[in-house]
Amino acid sequence: VEIQEKKVDQTLVVSVVGSIDAHTAEQVLSFLRQRVSGGQSQFVLDLGQVDFMSSAGLRVIVDILRKSRNQGGDLRLASAQGGVENTLVISGFTRVIKTYPTVEAAVGSFGSE
Amino acid sequence: VASRYQITCAAELESLAAFRELINSACRQHPQVDRQTCYDLQLAVDEACTNVITHGYAGMNPGSIILALVFVPQQVLVTITDFGHPFEPYEPPVPDVQAGLEDLPMGGFGLFFIYQAMDEISYRTAEDGNHLTFLKRLGPIPGK
Repeated sequence: VEIQEKKVDQTLVVSVVGSIDAHTAEQVLSFLRQRVSGGQSQFVLDLGQVDFMSSAGLRVIVDILRKSRNQGGDLRLASAQGGVENTLVISGFTRVIKTYPTVEAAVGSFGSE
Repeated sequence: VASRYQITCAAELESLAAFRELINSACRQHPQVDRQTCYDLQLAVDEACTNVITHGYAGMNPGSIILALVFVPQQVLVTITDFGHPFEPYEPPVPDVQAGLEDLPMGGFGLFFIYQAMDEISYRTAEDGNHLTFLKRLGPIPGK
């Protein structure tokens, strides 16, 4: 799995490229935890190039969601599609996490509050 | 006419990608399998193999997992065989995400996805290993 990051104002956009399974989820989790430890609290997780995500990916999302909200920020999801989007819907995650069709919309949502 | 695919991998998390790739390439050879169905098969197999790797073989020497796929015109039959501790799957309650993030039982999502994605699930333990079998029907199924 490949992880890219880009800072837009106060928001860190993290783009994951590849599959998030129980093996690769560890990489994504430790990357995001490092950023949280460094004081980052506003995250956009860009799932546009994620072709597969298991429940291990949901565990990463919940972990970082809790930590970022505890620091007064939030984790928002962008660009999930196909089976990944379906997984977020049937698990009920889309009812507790803000999701956006594009990275730009997700980043913009932080500024409009 | 049935076509059969099989792969044997070490029971380690690094093998998950190889199991999904077998499903992907097999599905591409069967136009009657749509993208969401292919994804459902990958998700169910990934979650089941993750359980075998992290729980089934816990405290044992690392063993192997055999994934077999059989495609017939109206359905796909998946069998996952392992030689670890038996673990009979059960249908978990629907995860209640709105009850609060702190209380979310994250362990339940793997089984939940398997039961959401597959049409029939059966389990059998014998001297030749533990056999978890999924059936996925193809084509439009009312109410599913």
